[in-house]
Amino acid sequence: MRPRHLAGIALAVPTAFGLAALLLTEAVVTSAPEGPAGYYLRNSIADSGAINVVTTVLLDYRAFDTLGEASVILASVAAISALLAGSKPERTEQGLSPLVQTSIGYLAAVFWIFPVYIVFHGHLSPGGGFQGGVSLAVLVILVYVVFGSTRASQHLTPSLLHGAESASALGFLLLGTVGIAQGFAFLANAAAGFPTGEPGRLVSGGVIPLLNLAIGIKVAAGLGSIYLDILSADDTP
Amino acid sequence: MMQQATYVTAAVVFAIGLYGVVTHRNMIKICISLSVMESAVVMLFVAMAYRPGATAPIIEDDAVAYVDPLLHALSLTAIVIGAGVISVALALTVVVYRHYGTTDIRVVFRGQR
Amino acid sequence: MTPEIPFYMVLGLVIACALGAVLLRGYITSIIVLSIFSITVTVAFAFLQAVDVAMAEAVIGAGLMTAIFVTAISKTRRRS
Repeated sequence: MRPRHLAGIALAVPTAFGLAALLLTEAVVTSAPEGPAGYYLRNSIADSGAINVVTTVLLDYRAFDTLGEASVILASVAAISALLAGSKPERTEQGLSPLVQTSIGYLAAVFWIFPVYIVFHGHLSPGGGFQGGVSLAVLVILVYVVFGSTRASQHLTPSLLHGAESASALGFLLLGTVGIAQGFAFLANAAAGFPTGEPGRLVSGGVIPLLNLAIGIKVAAGLGSIYLDILSADDTP
Repeated sequence: MMQQATYVTAAVVFAIGLYGVVTHRNMIKICISLSVMESAVVMLFVAMAYRPGATAPIIEDDAVAYVDPLLHALSLTAIVIGAGVISVALALTVVVYRHYGTTDIRVVFRGQR
Repeated sequence: MTPEIPFYMVLGLVIACALGAVLLRGYITSIIVLSIFSITVTVAFAFLQAVDVAMAEAVIGAGLMTAIFVTAISKTRRRS
């Protein structure tokens, strides 16, 4: 038992008991959601036509917050690029064996299906732009691990990822200005004339599927380029 | 009862992560502990959104009650931002290793190579 | 059987995996236990009817962060 372990225990045990006591006395809720959440649950279908209320909150009622969240991803990509600047990309990794490369080369076409399904069904089923975008980023990482950075960076270049991220951010902003052009709020959905469709169908929810697509591409490109920046860092002390 | 049990678990997991942040001296271990603390906060949000007998917030005809969708949206944002924050922390760790040749955080505080 | 007993078992696994991820020695061990921790948290979220959050936690915690952590570790280790 070193002093810092004792200090850690002296800090952690009161924290655990205090937090648990505070939550058990103050935060136990049994009534139905009220306030904004109750409004969202009652009016989601009438306002936007999407049946997944979490997606409606993220991309219709609070779409401006989602724009801020996407810009946090952009800020962290910029910070990591600035921190690891001046390191030349490492071009010696050869990837895994030819057997794995060939089979993944065929299977990667199938692996696209899951993220694209998640993104396009974000307003109907669990999932959406964030989850599908992160799955796409994991697919980028898989391609880099299997084929090695030498071969993978010829096709999936970092500048391609940066371009995709900027293009999807611009697309999000342009979709938002449609509402302003018609005299409504920024990122207005049904009020700006986007068709809400029949709830439960693939083409419904107005602008929500398009915003989901923009967020998905943005998150995939952002997190993928974070991985590439850390991968190509110069590691000689 | 499920809500109360999740509250207690979130408090305990948060305290475990806090212990790790305070006691570890390796920056990668500190990043792992931060990740655990962040998961505890998301658990707290999800437990606050839970109602007994309610179903997931996807509108159906035969559902009687739904859990709170607003807290789910907030914690979804928190998870993605947390991934960005921990990535920045790991990039800082790599920069520190490049500069000082170690990931021990005491060296950074002392400021000598 | 009520769904509560399996849920409490999952919560116990969550605490055990958090302890393991923080206290175990060795980088790779900690990170594998961290990704198992994310999977158990995902199961707990699915019990609590938070399907969107469960999917995000599974994809980020078990997929993306593991890859980024392993890459960062390989960058902070002396080449032998």
